[in-house]
Amino acid sequence: MSTDTTPRPAPIAADTAPAVELAGLTKSFRTPDGPVHAVRGVDLTIRGGEVVAFLGPNGAGKTTTLDMVLGLTEPSTGTARVFGLRPRDAVAAGRISAVLQTGGLLRDLTVRETVVLIASMYAEHTPVEEVIERAGLTALQGRMVSKCSGGEQQRLRFALALLPDPDLLVLDEPTAGMDVAARRDFWRAMHEEAARGRTVVFATHYLEEADAFADRIVLVAEGRVIADGSTAQIRAQAAGRTVHATVPAPRRTAVVAALQAMEGVTDVSVQGDRLRVLAVDSDAVARSLLTDLGGIDLEIQTASLDDAFMALTGHSHEEDPR
Amino acid sequence: MNLTYAGLELKRFARDRVNLFFVAILPAFFYLVFGAAQDYKDAPVGNANVAFYILVSMAAYGAVTATVGIGGMAAVERMQGWGRQLGLTPLPDRGFVTVKAFLAVAVAAVPIALIAVLGALTGASAEAWTWVVSLAAIVLGATVFALFGLCAGMAFRTEAAVGAASGMIVIMAFLGNLFLPLSGALLTVAKFTPLYGYVALARYPATEGRLVDGRGGLTDPEPLWIPLLNVSVWATLFAVAAVVLVRRGRGRQ
Repeated sequence: MSTDTTPRPAPIAADTAPAVELAGLTKSFRTPDGPVHAVRGVDLTIRGGEVVAFLGPNGAGKTTTLDMVLGLTEPSTGTARVFGLRPRDAVAAGRISAVLQTGGLLRDLTVRETVVLIASMYAEHTPVEEVIERAGLTALQGRMVSKCSGGEQQRLRFALALLPDPDLLVLDEPTAGMDVAARRDFWRAMHEEAARGRTVVFATHYLEEADAFADRIVLVAEGRVIADGSTAQIRAQAAGRTVHATVPAPRRTAVVAALQAMEGVTDVSVQGDRLRVLAVDSDAVARSLLTDLGGIDLEIQTASLDDAFMALTGHSHEEDPR
Repeated sequence: MNLTYAGLELKRFARDRVNLFFVAILPAFFYLVFGAAQDYKDAPVGNANVAFYILVSMAAYGAVTATVGIGGMAAVERMQGWGRQLGLTPLPDRGFVTVKAFLAVAVAAVPIALIAVLGALTGASAEAWTWVVSLAAIVLGATVFALFGLCAGMAFRTEAAVGAASGMIVIMAFLGNLFLPLSGALLTVAKFTPLYGYVALARYPATEGRLVDGRGGLTDPEPLWIPLLNVSVWATLFAVAAVVLVRRGRGRQ
């Protein structure tokens, strides 16, 4: 199944231009409630062969940014280039394709007809049989799209994205609505594509997905890149834990001050008689709370993505006060 | 034109049995009941007979029902994400429009052809050039109503809205002097409604502007500019509305 049938030489070596180059990219929409600034200035370069996650909460501007990379939306200001080409030209040349979020399929066509239809729009494309097989749709090809589950429809979108044999594959929240097994299968298939040397850029709001699959994470919030680095680097910043403990009232102020002085503590707050401490090294915080600081009823939680964002947004403010 | 896409669109149309019923079977049934089965079907109307007059009416009704559906579904499909999927391929926008325009003409031709064959078998008669010009006018004029469907689809963004727009065609057909011969004040009102000019033009080769009145006689000829003006104004209105709605849709994306 994973035998390499790609006829072209590895795409990376041939290219000198980066896979994606975004410069000063912004996008605003007019709405009845006033303008919405979805993307507020993104500068980013992605080299060929990288696997990059766009990580951020809903409404962070991930989809809008990727739409500009794909030429589905024109930037308000700034430029987007894909392999040195304007996005529409890169699409027309089959250099870039994408698996979009839900929707976007005709329900009254069969799986195979859908693949044949999209294939007909390319002058050259990977054989229909091959993409159907690679997306694991061989047994489903006669089925109506309306009768396919969400995961099956997503595999179909994936098959469509493989048709132009793209050098850059963009995935926008590719596993939204999939169950655990479908999700695992999807990422397994994606690993095979990455192993063929394709550049893969995907948007997700699942920290685990970004962590498990990407070489590099670009953290996006409120239309800006707030962190960018290897998964290890981002984890060090983002994947802190939250320590909760009860500290008797008389000592509380001193304890808060002591915790704030500790290295790796990003936030300390008081909620009733409980302290909430956000820290990278939760073990150290827990140790001092239980020994020197006299905390009781200790609880440790893995930071939610929200906590990570809070931590990271805080950092970026300290480094770059606007 | 992308023939694979056009072929698959025809296949989708043929798969939708309910739509096929309203577009082809129902108008043909109307022709048989209100035209071929009536005693007055052989009465002359201009260079044709009543059966032909009703054939033209019902073929026009079927054709418009078809194109409203095609235009409406094209809009709804694009907004429900198919437009984004197509945006990821080299197919230009005009490629999409070409396929849908072809589809509208092809689908409009289905009821026209069916009713024309039934008419020829059941005594509808007119001069040969009248057949050709009338049927061509029905096909061409029906494409104007694809714009109406497009507007309904873009304005309300649901398949149900497209169904409602097709349903409105029935009311517009009554008001447009298509199903029943109108007279008096109602006929005056009719001349301002969108289907009036279209069906009057399609009948013009046979009747030269005379209308069947409620009692089986014929009215005085109506000048050609009235149906032409009606069609032009409505086509312009639909086109302007479509452009406005397309722009509004872009702004929201």
